[in-house]
Amino acid sequence: MTSGNSVLVLGIGNDILTDDGIGPRIIQQIEKETFPSLFAFRSASVGGLEILEMISGYREVIFIDAIKTRNGTPGTIYCLSPDNFQETLHLTNLHDTHFLEALELGRKLEMDIPSKIHILAIEIVEDREFNESFSPEIQTRFPEILEEVRDYLRQMIRDF
Amino acid sequence: MKQITIDPITRLEGHGKIEIFLKDDGGVENVYFQVPELRGFEQFCVGRPVEELSQIVTKICGVCPGCHHMASGKAADAVYGVKPPPTALKLRELFYMAHFVHSHIAHFYALAAPDFVVGPAADPAIRNIVGVIEKVGIPIGSEVIKQRRIAQEIQALLGGHQTHVVMNVPGGVRKGLTPEQRDDIVKKAEGFVDFAKFSMNLFKDVVLGNKDYVNIILNGPYALKIHSMGLVDERNQVNFYDGKVRVVDTKGKELFKYSPNEYLDYVAEHVEPWSYLKFPYLKTKGWKGFVEGQDSGVYHATPLSRLNAADGMATPIAHQEYEFMYKTLGGKPVHNTLAMHWARLVELIYAAEHCLELALDSEIIGSDLRTPLDKTPSEGVGIVEAQRGTLTHHYWTDPKGIVTKVNIIVGTTNNHAPICMSIKKAAEGLITKNTEITEGILNMIEMSFRAYDPCFSCATHSLPGQMRIELVLKDTQGKIIRSVKRK
Repeated sequence: MTSGNSVLVLGIGNDILTDDGIGPRIIQQIEKETFPSLFAFRSASVGGLEILEMISGYREVIFIDAIKTRNGTPGTIYCLSPDNFQETLHLTNLHDTHFLEALELGRKLEMDIPSKIHILAIEIVEDREFNESFSPEIQTRFPEILEEVRDYLRQMIRDF
Repeated sequence: MKQITIDPITRLEGHGKIEIFLKDDGGVENVYFQVPELRGFEQFCVGRPVEELSQIVTKICGVCPGCHHMASGKAADAVYGVKPPPTALKLRELFYMAHFVHSHIAHFYALAAPDFVVGPAADPAIRNIVGVIEKVGIPIGSEVIKQRRIAQEIQALLGGHQTHVVMNVPGGVRKGLTPEQRDDIVKKAEGFVDFAKFSMNLFKDVVLGNKDYVNIILNGPYALKIHSMGLVDERNQVNFYDGKVRVVDTKGKELFKYSPNEYLDYVAEHVEPWSYLKFPYLKTKGWKGFVEGQDSGVYHATPLSRLNAADGMATPIAHQEYEFMYKTLGGKPVHNTLAMHWARLVELIYAAEHCLELALDSEIIGSDLRTPLDKTPSEGVGIVEAQRGTLTHHYWTDPKGIVTKVNIIVGTTNNHAPICMSIKKAAEGLITKNTEITEGILNMIEMSFRAYDPCFSCATHSLPGQMRIELVLKDTQGKIIRSVKRK
């Protein structure tokens, strides 16, 4: 669904690579819950030009991606925007073009790019091992992470 | 000894890096290109029905999922000893041509063109696809986005999903095309051909029309005299989906040609203690180290090697461009690494033309989509050309078709040794005793491996083709004495 009035919540990651898939797995969970039609939920495994096309037409977009920082606490959610963007795992590791470049390209080409971009980057532990389960640290914290994401969406509803 | 480290993303753990060790006189001692390892894929596959693998493997890599899906589908056919009917084979190939169109367009405009359209030493803030669009115009930028999207739409139509493809089943495909859908693809494929031709003309104008760029391609530190690998059809023309793997030597003479199930007789993998990723080499030559030449076991599997290994292209305009490229570069084989960009555009034209040919083929709307399975599954190999090199999937199953073992050699892995050698050669050519290490130097080293369109996602999850790098010059105690950082 695309609508100029809606908010796309886009989980990015690989759901068979341990914690890497935390974005898509959050989407799998919350898209089953009751949220206003304001939100559209989608998952993707790649960034770059494809993301540009996916977000086109939405008023706002919330990326949910994994991040690994040195000495970060697993499960911590960093709220980022293009202005204070740090390298999250999939908005950074692009084969074709960097996330910020993709946004700039979209604006230059006069595509209908969301006016506001939110990035929820979740500190993970393991993204090098094929596994459909989370690491123990993320598994333990997953209910809290989900609740924080729900809170974020609820706050958006109030502010909208 | 001084040490230079090119570390792509310093704030993230576990990503690839390039380390350049300098001699005391300032010259390059050695170069190490390291990528981290992904663990447990084989274990993840073992115990699953073999027909599930073609869907699972699309998740190994977000960049070339269609390639893994095709190689896996072919391996599963082989496991069951079955050949899909002509309509199914053509549908697979149609999907695959669209996959090549979208990938090759992305590489040319996002990864190759910035170096040539904007300039190899240009400010990195503008040396990107946005800078390219600034130079060539917004309508062309819009066309890049549009043609990629259309190619993705064709993949989604045929494959069920553009990334997580569910098209192949052992012996065929899940669904066919209606005449109306076919007509729509014909129109889209005509657009691909036009855009591919346009892109080639842009390359000729911008690159071949600039003496400095031609000089960089021909005389820069970017040539590697190694053997060439590529899949060919029965006429020895380039084929992405099927055929035999042909390898020609550094002089262009055929060394051998093998069927997928014979790959272990011809390719082996060397292990180095400093790298998780292995180094494939030609078994008949043996591993002689990271060396060039006729006796070396090192080969590459790239757009350029595919053209070197073939006698021509199977479509008319692509073949014309193939001949023009070799005529311009002084005959076959070509060993200039940056000519890979040119070869990739020849392939783009082929993919577009072949996409149109397949869409116009009356069999493409046939209804015979799957050959029944009547043999006991056991073992099979599937090989396709991925955009980044020859891709081999080898599966073993029990008599019920449950996977017991998996071996995959991904496209870029074939090029692991050549990439290391190309980086070293570029570094040696560009960094000498009194070299001031500038952004331009950094980028020109990076160009040597970017030409391969490297994607280690399959084997290592992530290494962007377009690295954002930091080069650190260290003294013998490891103290940083200078760094150049790319934002």
